[in-house]
Amino acid sequence: MSSATSQRSQGTPARRSSNVVPHVVLCIGAVFMVGPFAWEVLTSVKTFAASIHVPPVLVPNPFEWHNYLTVFQTLPFGRLFLNTVLMTVARTAGQVIFCSLSGYAFARLHFRGRGLLFGLFLSVLMVPSQMFLIPQYQIIQHLGLLNTVAGLSLPGMFSAFGTFLMRQFFMQLPVEMEEAARLDGANPLQTYWHVMLPLSAPGMLALGILVAIWSWNDLLWPLVVNTDPAKMPLSAGLASLQGEHLTNYPVLMAGALLASLPLIVAFIVFQRHLIQGIASTGIKG
Amino acid sequence: MSVSLDKSEPATVSPGYGPTRTRRARRTRVHRGEGWWALAMLVPTLVGLGVFSLWPIFQTLYYSFTTWGAFGGHVWSGLANYRSLLSDSELLQSLLNTFIFTAVTLTSVPLAIVVAALLNRPGMRGLAVYRTLYFLPVVTLPASVALMWKLLLSGDYGIVNWLLSLVHVNGPYWLSNPGTAIYALAAVSVWSSIGFNMVILLAGIQTIPRDYYEAAELDGAGKVRQFVSITVPLLTPSIFFVTVITVINSLQAFDLVYLMVGVNNPALDHSQTIVYLFYKTGFIDHNGGYAAAIAFVLMVAILVFTTVQFRLQKRWVHYV
Amino acid sequence: MTKTTRSRIASWRGGALLLCLCALVGLAGCGSSGNNGSSGGKVTLSYAVWDQPQVPATKRIISEFHRSHPNIDVQVQVTPWDDYWTKLRTAATGGSAPDVFWMTLAYFKYYAKGGALMPLDSQIDASHVDMSNYVPAIRSAYRFDGKTYGMPRDVNSFGLFYNKKLFKQAGLSAPDGSWTWADVTAAARKLTDKSRGVYGIVAPEVDELGWYLTIPQAGGYVLSPDGKQSGYDQAASVKGIQFWVDLVNKYHASPSLQQMTDTDPLSMFTSGKAAMYYGGSWDPVAISAVPYAKANVDVAPLPHDATRLFYSNGLANTIYARTKHPKEAWEFTKFLASKRAADINATTGTVIPAYKGEADNYVRSMPWMHLQRIVDQLPNARPFPSTIDTSVWRDNATKEFAKAWTGQETVPAAAANVTKQMNAALADEGK
Repeated sequence: MSSATSQRSQGTPARRSSNVVPHVVLCIGAVFMVGPFAWEVLTSVKTFAASIHVPPVLVPNPFEWHNYLTVFQTLPFGRLFLNTVLMTVARTAGQVIFCSLSGYAFARLHFRGRGLLFGLFLSVLMVPSQMFLIPQYQIIQHLGLLNTVAGLSLPGMFSAFGTFLMRQFFMQLPVEMEEAARLDGANPLQTYWHVMLPLSAPGMLALGILVAIWSWNDLLWPLVVNTDPAKMPLSAGLASLQGEHLTNYPVLMAGALLASLPLIVAFIVFQRHLIQGIASTGIKG
Repeated sequence: MSVSLDKSEPATVSPGYGPTRTRRARRTRVHRGEGWWALAMLVPTLVGLGVFSLWPIFQTLYYSFTTWGAFGGHVWSGLANYRSLLSDSELLQSLLNTFIFTAVTLTSVPLAIVVAALLNRPGMRGLAVYRTLYFLPVVTLPASVALMWKLLLSGDYGIVNWLLSLVHVNGPYWLSNPGTAIYALAAVSVWSSIGFNMVILLAGIQTIPRDYYEAAELDGAGKVRQFVSITVPLLTPSIFFVTVITVINSLQAFDLVYLMVGVNNPALDHSQTIVYLFYKTGFIDHNGGYAAAIAFVLMVAILVFTTVQFRLQKRWVHYV
Repeated sequence: MTKTTRSRIASWRGGALLLCLCALVGLAGCGSSGNNGSSGGKVTLSYAVWDQPQVPATKRIISEFHRSHPNIDVQVQVTPWDDYWTKLRTAATGGSAPDVFWMTLAYFKYYAKGGALMPLDSQIDASHVDMSNYVPAIRSAYRFDGKTYGMPRDVNSFGLFYNKKLFKQAGLSAPDGSWTWADVTAAARKLTDKSRGVYGIVAPEVDELGWYLTIPQAGGYVLSPDGKQSGYDQAASVKGIQFWVDLVNKYHASPSLQQMTDTDPLSMFTSGKAAMYYGGSWDPVAISAVPYAKANVDVAPLPHDATRLFYSNGLANTIYARTKHPKEAWEFTKFLASKRAADINATTGTVIPAYKGEADNYVRSMPWMHLQRIVDQLPNARPFPSTIDTSVWRDNATKEFAKAWTGQETVPAAAANVTKQMNAALADEGK
């Protein structure tokens, strides 16, 4: 199959086959993807009796907005949201900054023991986070940071994965500009700040997006490190809501919707960057 | 999140410079005294990882040889925990549960391939809309996903069983029946991960030159044949990436079990994953030493799976 | 570099710096407001509870306390029952437990022995608190090794909650004091209507609202008086458990264990999917919060068997041994145990206080239910079975009896297993 024949990237209109079947298939799939959300929204304004009615009630009548009030009465929702935002920002900022620094150091700087040190980083990569959990808890405890947002964020601000990702990224950037800067007498830090940092924006974006999503959704660590309900992030708070309201579906759906709305909205607004970022991690792999 | 991307690249790679002589000369001139700068730039991550990752690994290993007391304190107990591990039926069951969960979740990969391939067809309109819709579950809080599906899977009042009743099938109590719970959890996991896999696979598919397809069309190959002979083989690097990520994440599944099944559920034994067992042992039963041993087992499992996958990749992954 | 590239680079770097700053500020700001803040004489205490329906009354008590003690703020921390003990133990081990928290008999001895609770005798004497004001059973239950560790809060009684509307529809007369187990079973069978998804009764697999009521009624026991032997394999104890299991598996008058895990039993009752519910004196608040239930639910005395006895619990407020504010924590705990606090709890119908003489307030709080019938059962209460490490054998028993609920094991076989495990655990405690 030689590619010399055709430079055109699109097929000729005459040969394009109908896309009806694919559309149908994709639509059915989309219904499966979005259907649960629709049901969540509808249930959140039903009374409990309506939510357990068989056959299922499609349009709630009456609209029970009180469920949302119950959520706010059970959880300090504003605080939970603030905790989640702060924790996500801290972890994302930490990883993006520290990992791009270390990623650059591994990619472009020469020093003794670089190989060994990088091998050490890689070995950390292979270890599941549960291996760190209990000692991390004790360290945070000794630092007196239990039940704080700092305690939530601190261990997640450093990452071997992030270093690896940024290193991969830096290695694929052209050397010339950097060389020029170095020959002009700039030290590595200046080179990094003035030359490499702007060029690495896509990589930092990709890393930032992944870390932000992961931080927002993290459940196990917040469960372990914070026992004070007012210091929890949204994920743990939602788990707490379920513990209180058991199977009171409308209240649970209201809480679930409120808790996941911020990230969904952010996604819809920034979706192009987000998807680009995630896709780029795959191609390099 | 501990994920390895590209193991085929050796640890030390020198950036691409010119011919040897100039390279050496450049290196000595430009990179003299770089060690200190490198140290400075590495310090935050080094300290952070040292304190929060490296030290904990050894600490956890140490704890796996200890037994813990009521409100703190621990005593050395040698191999006692590991000996209990071998005869612990609950642990073996949880390993089995985790493997079943992982195997079922892997079906999201072929599904995502199909979706990506469909989206890649020439003149496919609404690609961005489909992509957004399919990706929605990925950016939804796992806690929200769990609660949503708990309602849908309710045995008496959920939509799933209602739909089944329309075709005269009596649906089980998905989340409290030991026989079905783990499969229900895995199905939810598939639902929430298709979008992520699809995005990566779509990016991979889009790098396949259209000319290949056109040439194949000229040779008389149908759409399906093109898919099997062109798309899939050239996509194998992305498929490999997505598979490794899915396996590693599935082996560490926790959120869904914690939120959808929980401690008082008769189905717990047959649906708890190994990380959930770790959490239960370490933080509910406060048996820190045994939990550390379980964490060690998990680490070995992940190492084994990932190594096997990387070894096998030579057989089926075509790097261009 | 062009001017636009330069400005774009500048904005990227500016953005990075801003992100850095945000992180630092966030961490600094939130790191310092970590555990209980105390600045300028103002103290903030944390008070841990698990039952959301009881929070409104608790908050009223706190605001009254704050009026007389303006320098002490109290924050209520509600943790669901399933997580409460997990978190408390982790926090207590880590030195970050709440200052004051609810304690129950099932865990009391463990926490007292482990040194997590502050002994209160000297404070009681210094403040001249008259301990004879409290129900003796609860008062003595929270003493360990000759010291008092908890201030009694409430005492539990129980009743048979039933749905008046469903009873009328089935043509049955309401339950009363003459009812025996046979009456319950017969009514449950009549009230079950599979076609409408309605069950006669909910029979959850729990001890406190389940077999801890029926085992003593049958004349059996769970723990021998000396605390060293399990009584689960006694014929009477087996009978007490068989009563529930038959409702589920033999007469199909109760939802299955899987169903009750899927949907919470109390919600099934308050939404009219079940006609009867064995409930506690703390349940009326939650039941009355549902409009349908408030209109249609009433309570009858517990049906009896050979006896009318039942095991009863009662909560106490305890102080964390390593609290940073022992004086303020005692002031608050003292108020929680005062007549005023008991008044608030009783007049809201939240619980029957352990402070004597409040029963009438409790009864009058909800005229739509005959709460008197719950209070009248108090003389039949027997001490809740507890040892140094109750949760070990209690959780085991719950796990084992689940097999009887699902029909995997017969009740006698499950009881035999439970007895074996329990005796082994009790023997371990002695060591």
